[in-house]
Amino acid sequence: MKIKVNKVEYNLDVESDMPLLWVLRDLLKLTGTKYGCGIGVCKVCTVLIDGVPEQSCLVPIGFVEGKEVTTIEGISQNGDHPLQKAWNELSVSQCGYCQPGQIIRAYYLISKIPKPTIEDINREMSEHICRCGTYNKIREAILLATKE
Amino acid sequence: MEKHCKESRRRFIFGTALTVAGVVSGFPFSNKLLAELVVLDDKKKVLGLTPSIWVEITKENYVVVTVARSEIGQGVRTTFAMIVAEELDADWSRVIAINAEGDSKYGDQSTGGSTSVRTFWTTLRQAGAQARQLLINAAAEIWGISPDNCYTQNSYVYEKNGVRKLSYGELIDKAIQLPIPPANSVKLKKVSDFKILGKPQKNIDETSFVTGKAVFSSDYRLEGMKYAVILRCPYIGGSLASFDDSEAKKIKGVVGVYQISEGIAVVAENSWLALKGRDALKVTWNKGTNAELSTEQIFNKFYSLIGNLPDLPGNTTKKIECTYEVPFLAHSTMEPMSAFAYFHNGKCEIWAGTQNPQTARSQVATALGITQSNVKANVLFSGGGFGRRHNNDYIVMAAKISKLSGFPIMFFYTKADDIKNDYYRPASVHSIKAGIDANGNPTGFIHKVISQGDVSFVSPSYNLGVVQNSTASYGFGIRTGPWRSVDYTQNIFVIESVVDELAYLAGKDPLQFRLSLASDEKLKTVLRRVGENYGWGRELPEGWGRGIAAFVGYGAYIAHIVEVSVSKEGFLKIQKIYAVVDPGFPINPENIKNQIMGAAIDALSTAINTEITIQNGQIQQSGFHNYRWLRMNEVPEFNIEILTTSDRPSGMGEVGFPSVTPALCNAIFNATGIRIRKLPIGKTPLLKVDGKENKTKDLEFNAYPNPFETKVTLNIRTNDIKSSNLIVRIFDILGKLVFESKLNFNGTSYQTQLDFEDLPASVYYVVFELNNQIFSFPILKKN
Ligand code: FES
Ligand code: FES
Repeated sequence: MKIKVNKVEYNLDVESDMPLLWVLRDLLKLTGTKYGCGIGVCKVCTVLIDGVPEQSCLVPIGFVEGKEVTTIEGISQNGDHPLQKAWNELSVSQCGYCQPGQIIRAYYLISKIPKPTIEDINREMSEHICRCGTYNKIREAILLATKE
Repeated sequence: MEKHCKESRRRFIFGTALTVAGVVSGFPFSNKLLAELVVLDDKKKVLGLTPSIWVEITKENYVVVTVARSEIGQGVRTTFAMIVAEELDADWSRVIAINAEGDSKYGDQSTGGSTSVRTFWTTLRQAGAQARQLLINAAAEIWGISPDNCYTQNSYVYEKNGVRKLSYGELIDKAIQLPIPPANSVKLKKVSDFKILGKPQKNIDETSFVTGKAVFSSDYRLEGMKYAVILRCPYIGGSLASFDDSEAKKIKGVVGVYQISEGIAVVAENSWLALKGRDALKVTWNKGTNAELSTEQIFNKFYSLIGNLPDLPGNTTKKIECTYEVPFLAHSTMEPMSAFAYFHNGKCEIWAGTQNPQTARSQVATALGITQSNVKANVLFSGGGFGRRHNNDYIVMAAKISKLSGFPIMFFYTKADDIKNDYYRPASVHSIKAGIDANGNPTGFIHKVISQGDVSFVSPSYNLGVVQNSTASYGFGIRTGPWRSVDYTQNIFVIESVVDELAYLAGKDPLQFRLSLASDEKLKTVLRRVGENYGWGRELPEGWGRGIAAFVGYGAYIAHIVEVSVSKEGFLKIQKIYAVVDPGFPINPENIKNQIMGAAIDALSTAINTEITIQNGQIQQSGFHNYRWLRMNEVPEFNIEILTTSDRPSGMGEVGFPSVTPALCNAIFNATGIRIRKLPIGKTPLLKVDGKENKTKDLEFNAYPNPFETKVTLNIRTNDIKSSNLIVRIFDILGKLVFESKLNFNGTSYQTQLDFEDLPASVYYVVFELNNQIFSFPILKKN
């Protein structure tokens, strides 16, 4: 099976029902995408499939054949995307575990709405759980990243 | 083994647990810098200057700080690096934090009790100052001048009144030849001279978090490793009767099935196959003696152990006699427990997020029957800790499975495993007698705690008259452990709620009442300040309320005001939280802010929605769907003030938790007149409706049964029928729509049966509109 992750093609010999999450983490060693619940509730495993956020724990690998997958590793490895810069500026993270998923969701949000309002941010980002409670800082960082 | 350790260390470093503070240049994580660091790691053993185990200066002019407490989201890596960098006058953008492995040479590495900063404050300052003095001595010798004629700034030594300067990196060769000044001989800076400490600094690890490079407990990867999960007995105190693994072993990629004392482990080529293998196991369990156990039984037992509490003093004119109930809680970290272990040639190497790498090391040694010197416990990032990672059960399991299988093993719990096999915050009943005299002054506070798992009592920080505390506990075999702020979670909820009850009984303002009963000036200050900042006493709209509470502990003082609104339908909204914290000396105000917000959201989430319950001897919760956490749209705005009142810092990871719960409950009382004495709040309808009031002239509402287990039938009878069906909406206590249903008209009434199978046990509000009037009725789903 051929899949494309962060613009790189991979040829995999796996069953088509293996969730994308485990393909990324265990086979491709792209561990930036995290496991939180495996049942679509926490959203920590979020990746973009053809630009749309999906829970990689629920998506069978067969589904992404011929589609573009973008993980946190595909955003910017140096951390110079405006969102990452804003996160750094405000020291958003506590344990940090949910943040790759949060960044992916925020990335999607601003691709859709370049200048989101607080309501837009709340609506989109409330999909995600942050056990450490960094929500207020995440909201602030998205506003900061989209201020210009 | 040596080789393996070395290789994995390098992998680790290359894989970025190594991160650089990014204050000055903003984004130092350029490729160039990474390349430099890689080179540095290969050469450092030869080239680095290590005046102590805490700090190393490299040729490339980096300062590498060894952090001997575990990062679990409390910001300890940044904080420790800041302390060393301050005394060393280091360029903060060239400071790197690395994690110490578990080793007694670092002192006590147990990350708990918010002790890290208080324990290491002087040690790390001295380590920085010692390294600085050594570098000054080296420069002085090179230049042939007195060390007194040198000064330091941004990782350089300068000649006073001269033009010469040398970077710390350039001074290494000379410094290596000089004697290291004794740590206790070096002069520490005056607080007023601090450049890094006391100012907001960025999280040293932010860039690695947001690029996905930070290596968490579950992220460690090694060529040839396998993945393992475990099937554990779901019955508390039950055991394995028999199992059949033949189907599991037929799955291609399942490498082996092993029985260990904790359960049956399935090892496979990847996580997915391990889970598939586990699903294919056929197992029978011995349910054990607790097969019928329920939360109800546990609490009934607690009540039976209250006995007779002593009487209040004779001058008591009004009193409160009541009980408070606090449930079991799971830590429910974002990252379920996981650990890497490789047992190999009689030695075992661990890579894991743990709050106690030293006990991980000794427990693994014991479990494998090897000496501690043959175990290496390396610390990775933890996707949350909150006390969970004081117990290293998951690391021990990883080690055992590695030994049995012979493979490097990544062992992991699923979310459900994690919640069902936690070391829970103990559940407790608090029996209270408290009273006031004719002038409204407290006469006594009698408090008995009955719990499963130890809960110590905490004495009030106010003068409540005669105070008598006692405890009792009863074991049901449910594992308990430390939870963020430990015994304060229950005690401060109870004490600060009772103080509020007393103020009400005395007809006094809750803030003034507290101020009059506090003797500690610092406590009074945070209370007074938070009242001023919030504007205590100002008018609030109908249905709104505010509550106050304070906490003294971990060397800090904090007071909270929570403002809530309760809508006509009964929906609770947390509007605002004001906090004033006195940490003595605030090391990193930005991190303190994060901790205060994080702890508050932790407290709100648990107070409102979460509890671990037991039915038929089994834990009922299994994930964030039935162990609910607040989301972004449910959290309040924050106003946080941080005071500076001394030269010494306090603990901070737990300080922000305890007083939020009572401030919230006091606010709900202020808004509704409903006193919450039982957590979670979600068990209590915030509407004053009882069965009788459900009947008005035009309308009769009835839910049967209520409380219900999974299914409930709604009946609405009305004289004024408008259509053949009516839409009812069902909301959770925070006003989130969870259900929408059409009620069918059957001639005299509307009726429907609803299934709440997938929703957590809680109050829900049935809301509908009839004749332009909104009706809301609470229904309760039981555990
Ligand atoms: S791990 Fe996929 S939603 Fe939680
Ligand atoms: S930062 Fe820890 S879960 Fe979000």
